[in-house]
Amino acid sequence: MNFFPGQSILPIINWALIAPEIIVCAAAVIVMLIDAFAPPTQRWITGGVSLGGLLFAAIATIWLWVSGGIGPADAFNQMIVLDELRLGFTLVFLLVSILTLLISTVWVQGENLPAGEFHSLLLFATVGMMLMASGGDLVIIFLGLEILSIATYVLAGFRRTDVRSNESSLKYFILGSFSSAFLLYGIALTYGATGVAGAPGTTNIAIIASRINEARYPGLLFAGAAMMLVGFGFKIATAPFHVWTPDVYEGAPTPVTAFMAAGPKAAGFAAFIRAFVFGFPFVVASANSSIGAGVHSAWLTVLMVLAVMTMTLGNVVAIAQNNVKRMLAYSSIAHAGYALVGMVAAGATGDPAQRNTAITAVMFYLLTYAVMNVGAFTVVQLIARSGDRRTSIEDYNGIGFKSPVLAFSLSLFMLSLLGMPLTAGFMGKILVFGAAVNQGYYVLVIIGVLNSAISAYYYLRLIVVMFFKERTTAWNAPKIPAGLAVALILTVVGVLYLGIFPGRIINALQTRIEPPLFTIRLPGAPSK
Amino acid sequence: MPHLLTILILLPVIGAVASVLYSFTPSKREEHYKWIALVTTVATFIISLFLLTGLGDNSANFRFEENVLWIGSIGTRYHVAVDGISLWLVLLTTLLMPIAILSSWTAIKKRQLAYYVFLLILASAMMGVFVSLDLLLFYLFFEASLIPMFFLIGIWGGDRRIYAAIKFFIYTAVGSLLMLVGIIYLYFHYQTFDYVTLIQAISSQPLDPKAEFFLFAAFGLAFSIKVPLFPFHTWLPDAHTEAPTAGSVILAGVLLKMGTYGLLRFNLGMFPTMAHKFAPVIIVLAIIGIIYGALVAMVQPDVKRLVAYSSVSHMGFVVLGLFSFTELGMQGALYQMLNHGVSTGALFLFVGFIYERRHTRLISEFGGLSKPMPWFATLFVIASLSSVGLPFLNGFVGEFLIMVGMWTSGVTSHPYIATMLAATGVIWAAVYMLWMLQRVVFGPVTNSENAKLPDLNSREVGLLIPLLVLMLFMGVYPRVFLDRSRASIEAVRDRLSTSPAGGSFTVNAVETQPQTKQATKAE
Repeated sequence: MNFFPGQSILPIINWALIAPEIIVCAAAVIVMLIDAFAPPTQRWITGGVSLGGLLFAAIATIWLWVSGGIGPADAFNQMIVLDELRLGFTLVFLLVSILTLLISTVWVQGENLPAGEFHSLLLFATVGMMLMASGGDLVIIFLGLEILSIATYVLAGFRRTDVRSNESSLKYFILGSFSSAFLLYGIALTYGATGVAGAPGTTNIAIIASRINEARYPGLLFAGAAMMLVGFGFKIATAPFHVWTPDVYEGAPTPVTAFMAAGPKAAGFAAFIRAFVFGFPFVVASANSSIGAGVHSAWLTVLMVLAVMTMTLGNVVAIAQNNVKRMLAYSSIAHAGYALVGMVAAGATGDPAQRNTAITAVMFYLLTYAVMNVGAFTVVQLIARSGDRRTSIEDYNGIGFKSPVLAFSLSLFMLSLLGMPLTAGFMGKILVFGAAVNQGYYVLVIIGVLNSAISAYYYLRLIVVMFFKERTTAWNAPKIPAGLAVALILTVVGVLYLGIFPGRIINALQTRIEPPLFTIRLPGAPSK
Repeated sequence: MPHLLTILILLPVIGAVASVLYSFTPSKREEHYKWIALVTTVATFIISLFLLTGLGDNSANFRFEENVLWIGSIGTRYHVAVDGISLWLVLLTTLLMPIAILSSWTAIKKRQLAYYVFLLILASAMMGVFVSLDLLLFYLFFEASLIPMFFLIGIWGGDRRIYAAIKFFIYTAVGSLLMLVGIIYLYFHYQTFDYVTLIQAISSQPLDPKAEFFLFAAFGLAFSIKVPLFPFHTWLPDAHTEAPTAGSVILAGVLLKMGTYGLLRFNLGMFPTMAHKFAPVIIVLAIIGIIYGALVAMVQPDVKRLVAYSSVSHMGFVVLGLFSFTELGMQGALYQMLNHGVSTGALFLFVGFIYERRHTRLISEFGGLSKPMPWFATLFVIASLSSVGLPFLNGFVGEFLIMVGMWTSGVTSHPYIATMLAATGVIWAAVYMLWMLQRVVFGPVTNSENAKLPDLNSREVGLLIPLLVLMLFMGVYPRVFLDRSRASIEAVRDRLSTSPAGGSFTVNAVETQPQTKQATKAE
């Protein structure tokens, strides 16, 4: 074994590869400067700059996708990689941020909150998410996670005078930092376990995968993987690590909740897939006694159990909720469970084509979830009014024919979350469950669809109160500001488009990651 | 006519979109929505009659086929066509839609735009169910038909509408979601969602018995809930009773047929081996349904609930006929689907008429309606007798064929016992229908509120006429219908008889005999 330790070599600098991240980062800094120097009346410019930055980053991402960038497909010693997993998820994050921006600008103005701060935090959170997807190294993933988390801790408590918002922020901070510690500890243990003769340990995912069978301390490797699983499990809100979700989602300002439910969850999945599906990859059955096979089967089994728990708990508890935001929080837990089913399918196969299909399914699922979820929160925000006062189910009584646009849009989002045909949610479920059926996880899929049936009860409940009940109290239809109207149109069209003609998008998101994942191109390294 | 089926599917949706657009015009008037809906559905019906021209030679082939790629990455196609089985169900749908809309003419006063839009969307979805030959497309329409019906029950229904709507939705969704898993499994097993390709693939490389068992169960559960077969029937009385009249007509007339159509098309067509294994169980459940439905119908105080439970009983006959695996039984089952749509649809219309006049459906509130409402009484009695199965009316033909088919069936060891038990259902039907007629229509006028009820107006008589004419026509000349469906039914039977487990149930000797009976009846 004559592996060059990557850390001692001058990294390949390839700025083009991180162009989207740089653009968003620069936009965030510009926003901060404008906020500092512009007179208060002109601070609305920050929203425009943020939007421009995000759109520009999206263009850069598409450019990377189409052209393959300049130079090799990784940079900074494989700290950053370029593949469809990264680019697809990056576009999902940018979409979520753009939609969040659209629904938050008016709200920030209306609540007299500092617009500049809000926008720069949102952009930094976006950078964090993008780094989580683009990191080929656990350290970058952790870095991205921290950038994202710190920004979202602040965002959750952004309405400073509101006790619920404060509670939400504090809970998220305490539990979040706890889970970050888990993740970091897991990374450290993995680093320690993967040291081989003549080289120190590594946090590079590809190298971890290649060294897994030679790990000197298998026990450490298992412990490291377990702790990382807890850390990621917290971010995507899987069942035993979900307890923060309802409180945080309920207390945070609605646009922030929309963002948190769609963006960081997708980012968590991107990093989770990268670290586990590629870091501790599938090993053929003949090598069953190897360490790699042991780790792989261990995390896959745990993930399967987590998926079942997450789906069931999320859906069952959601039935009992009387607050719409809490209900959507539990629904978001349940959806993490469905996406985990796809991830289990991705992890369970060594066949690159099938694995790519499964990863694409998860990515498409999170895209559909982002669109319908942000859409639902847009309506919730409009109905909640300033200060998030009207978020209980009773506030929706009988508004169906009084505000038909809002009510029918919300119904569409609910039906999509439920997974009815012709909506995005249906196609997402088909792909995710299809991937799992293809790997033979019939029981898992049956539990999944039965959970969908359970979820019908609470999704329909909102439709029932809106349309089937009469309103007893007065109702003033809320005015729909331009930004929210655009977001609403985008999400409604998106839900229908992804539900009826998803072919192009699925093809575009199709990943083509071939093993060995990101070939190690260190100069001077012996080709293995 | 090219793209005929696409036109039939899209036309109601176009009507719905037109209604919504019209609602934005400044000169809109609430009573115009029903006209838009009526014109659309009548146009759909007229266009659907062109389907009859395409099946001239009565073969089993699929006609009016359209097959284009829909979602390339998962291989779903927009594949629609009709054959002798679906043809009649499509026509039943297009016929019942204008009738349903006319029946709502004065009954629906609130939120007319949404009401007619939902009805039109429902029409499209139902059409799609019967013509889809792609499993995913079928599932899509099958589920899509739930949503408008959910709204129709929930917004315009009776007092317990919310309970009924949710129950209806969740019952049906549970079944169909498991079917979805089956569809996905088939896709990964045979790399296609296409029905025609699938049945060829299944016969050339059969599924292993365990997989086939679960697939049959998954599809069967979805359809049994929809039919509804005996233990899964509890959603039906609630949904029927709470739905507005048009909703009940469509629910009984068309939506229930999706279940039996699915059993015939998918369960029998795709999983013939398991169909033989399951048949005895399903026959027992069907017979329980026939007798249980009839007995419960007998004691209902509410006319609408009575008709709803009679549906359970009648649909039991349909399932019995399907699982007899004989030509007569299966032809009778298909025929009985149409009969049930026409007769029960008409009965729900009558219930709607008296409900609109008295705002109650309790049998005890009525009595002697024949005096104030002679037209109502006459036509109601005809429709009831059709439902009972009086010879010369349609119900008789279907039930007779089913019973002859079951008697000669080789699918269970003592088919005549099954037939005799099922036949009691006809007697029970006479008991509950005639008893109900006696208490509602005949006798002295006991309640003074009934004394001055207005008789049916010309709209109400007019919308009943097509149904009553059909009852008589289908009762005396069933050939027209049976000839066109025979080849398609035979194609399903071929698959059933060539399956490894099949073989002992063909009854060619008896097949010719009832033909002469039909012929004599026609004279």
